[in-house]
Order: sequence, then C-alpha cells, then structure tokens
Amino acid sequence: MPYLSRIRINPLRTASRTLLASPRALHAQVQGGVPTLPNESRTLWRLDADNPHRPELFVLTAGKPDWTHLVEQAGWPGADGEHYAVRDYAPLLGQLAQGREFAFRLTANPVQNTNRPDKPTERQQERLDGGTRRSFRLGHRTAASQLGWFLTRTARWGFDVPAASHLDGTRDDQDEPPRDVRISTRRRHSFGKPTRASKEDRVIMHMVTFEGKLRVTDPSLLTQRLLAGIGPSKAYGCGLLTLAPVPAKA
Amino acid sequence: MTATGPTTVLLLRLAGPLQAWGDRSAFNRRETRPEPTKSGIVGLLAAAAGRPRHAAIDDLAGLGLGIRVDQAGSLLRDYHTVSDYRGRPLLAAAVNAKGTQRLTGPAKYTHITQRFYLQDAVFLAAIEGPAHFITTLENAVRHPAFPLALGRRSCVPAQPLVLGQRTGPLEEVLRAEPWHVTDAVRKRWGRRNGNAAHVDLPLTLDDPAGDDTREDLPLSFAPTSRAYTSRRVRHTYAAAPTGLTPHPDQPPSTGGHDPFALLGW
Repeated sequence: MPYLSRIRINPLRTASRTLLASPRALHAQVQGGVPTLPNESRTLWRLDADNPHRPELFVLTAGKPDWTHLVEQAGWPGADGEHYAVRDYAPLLGQLAQGREFAFRLTANPVQNTNRPDKPTERQQERLDGGTRRSFRLGHRTAASQLGWFLTRTARWGFDVPAASHLDGTRDDQDEPPRDVRISTRRRHSFGKPTRASKEDRVIMHMVTFEGKLRVTDPSLLTQRLLAGIGPSKAYGCGLLTLAPVPAKA
Repeated sequence: MTATGPTTVLLLRLAGPLQAWGDRSAFNRRETRPEPTKSGIVGLLAAAAGRPRHAAIDDLAGLGLGIRVDQAGSLLRDYHTVSDYRGRPLLAAAVNAKGTQRLTGPAKYTHITQRFYLQDAVFLAAIEGPAHFITTLENAVRHPAFPLALGRRSCVPAQPLVLGQRTGPLEEVLRAEPWHVTDAVRKRWGRRNGNAAHVDLPLTLDDPAGDDTREDLPLSFAPTSRAYTSRRVRHTYAAAPTGLTPHPDQPPSTGGHDPFALLGW
C-alpha cells in the first residue's frame, strides 16, 4: 500500500545544508525512513523549494515510513504544527479515470540514448574504437529539448497535456497551440562518489521540473508511472509525478 | 528606559528620497546602515530641540527606541572625485607650527570619496519616554530649531514626519500601526501576495537582554570629543495590517502545487 509523505526541512540547520546540497546524502536519509529492505521496493522522492526558506520533501514509499530522524536532524523538533504528514496514496489512485484533468508536477532527468554522438568525448571515442555496441546515455541540455523529451513520452505514461486555454490565439512555429506545461526550474548537478576521486566517476545530471495540467488517457499506465516513477536518476530525487486539483481560474 | 511615571511613545515616519545612517564610517568612504541608528534619531531630536553640539544629550539617549522597516529601500552609491581647480596638491590633515594645513606629502591631486545612501526607504521610529518629556519633544519636532535631516544634512525628511503620540508598550505600538507605504507599493505587493491582510515587517527594539549589539549610542556630539558606546537590541517581526482585503475566491495558497489536496483530508 503506497504512502505519500511530506516533511518540512529547516534550511538553517547544519545537517539540512548537507542534505539540500547533495542528492546523495538526501537519498540516504530517505532510505533510512523506510523499514523494509531498500531493494525490495522503489522509493521516490522530490524536494520542492517553492519557498527556498521553507523547502518541503515529498516521498512516496511502498510501506508506512517514519521520519523522526529527519525531523530531529533537519527539521524543527520542538516547533508547533505537523513536522511531517503521511497519507495513504490509494484515494488518489482511485480517482484516476479516463478524461479527468489534474495539475501535475514532475522533477525528471531527461536523457536520450545514442551510439553515434555528434562530438564523442575521449572516453566515448575509446569505447567506439573498441567496437562496443552499447549506446551512450546523454542528457538533454536545452530547455526546448527537455520539453520535447517530456511531450513525446506523455502518451506512453498514460496521459496527455491539453492546450493552454489561457494562451488562446498563440501558435508555435508548427502552427500548433502551446501546451499547458512549463519548466519551472532547471539545474545541473555534479557530485562525486565518495570512494572514487576520478573525474569520470562523477554523477552528472540535469534536473528539470515540469509543471502544468494533464488529462488522463490510460488510468492503468498512469498508475504504474505514479508508483514506479518516470525517467532515470530516481535515487537522486527525480521521477516522482504528483497530482493536485486543477487551480480555479481567478 | 527609566520606569518612573507613565510613559508614552512618539511615532516618527522616516521617509524621503534619500537617507543615510552611518555608524562607523570614516574618511573617504561613508557607509549607511540598512536601518536608522540611535545616534541619528537622537541627533534629529537634539536638532529639533535646538541643542548646540556640545550640549548634554544623555536624556535623549536614555529614551527607548524601536524601529520598524516598512519599506527597505535600496542602496545608492554616490561616487565623487575632489580636486583643486587651480591644479594644486590637496591639503593634508596634518598642520604645521602656525596651525595651517600642510600640502599632502607625495602630492595628491584627487580624492576619491564614496557616500552610500538608502533610497526610497520608509522606517517607523518609536521613541518611548516619560509623558511630559515626549510631549516637549513632539512640539520640538513640529517646530524645529535647526533644520532636520535623515542621518546626513542633504537628506531632507518627507512629510508627515510626526505621526503623533501613542500609549502602550513600544512593541505593541509598532505592531498596531498600519503599513506606511505608497498605494502603488501596496497594490504591487498585494498582487504578488494574494492581498494578504497582514505583512511581516522587521522590528529592532532596544532591549538590555537582547542578543545583538549596535555601536551607535551617542555619549556626546561635541565636535572635539565625539563619543559613542554600544547598546543591546533585539530583533523580531511584527504582522502589520496592510489595509488590503484578501480576494474570497483566491485564498493565499501554498504556492500552487499541493499533492495532499487529493488525498482526502
């Protein structure tokens, strides 16, 4: 039974600074809140910094988690209010029906695979010369290609993104109406693995946050994506798709 | 600060095109604090009361002070060069035996000076003291003996400067006072913040048990023996009424995306 948690993070504490700076450290803390063995189920998480002074951590776990350790290290242990909220995710999954519309937010790592890179690096060239058939995973680095990555895959994930009603009359260069989706943050992360110092062993990822409106086309596919995540780098805070009510127009 | 008899609070609105509140500037670089200093306020009151520079000011410095930042303003850097139009070297600070200033040793032809100002800032200063003394001060500020300035002679205060007297503790007075900004600023802030009914404004209050110190308590303004000491202050926030009415259809939401809204609670 899946659970969605929301944990408030105090960015002024020493431990939180480490966690906010390093997806690796935050991954370890998130896994520490799940009593089942980490390889038995996929845990998805995302850091929402709408208000950078009050960041919030969302975690989707297969079983019921406990976040006392995060509150003690990186929250406000003595403060008023709810330190973390854990809710059953099943009511949401029950609401998925074909044609229903939701507001969504997704932080993902858009990548493409190719075995013919335009400008191979030294290391890629070595592998090409060695005759390896396996392709390379390359990050999408421009906003246009990142948005393209998202929009070409939505049908596979069980939803589509309707045209933006508030942008009536505008057309893009293919004479298509713009879709109701935008990129709110883009960030390149680069961090080393603790045991290896060599430059090739660094993790480099482009984290992109998509926000907008979606219309459900296939509830079963969407359920699968909601629970299993979207795209790579799921350990580092990518892939958690969350749904919310469509905001009423003012 | 002296708790004898009933105390009242005098409210001043410190606003103007430019303000400058220096507390440790020297020589050619004249900085400003982001908030009014106690020495600046005491100097303004002493000028209003017509006290000469060498007069005692310990009664003014003993009053309690609270500052509320209604509009933080922005920093203006004013870059000057100073030189002698005849092309002579500038004068040094040192004097010769006759008491006249010498020329600079390796000849120096240009001073570069920088003055910093706060532009477009609005502060609320609350001065707490014995009732009769505060009344005297209010009359003095309404009919000042010397021209008043916001920290530096060129910074003229805008009207209204005096908001009148209030009764009650300093902090309560500053919390209750409405937000003193122009309508354009209020409307722009309202658009961005869902027309919230309250705005959090920073307060700096004189407090002997406070956890911060300021080096701006004047002991004497006499030109030959200027002296300052430190005071303890406490920082907090006040939710001041904005005068806006929140839109009923548009609650001040959490910034858009709330995944918990669909989970049935």
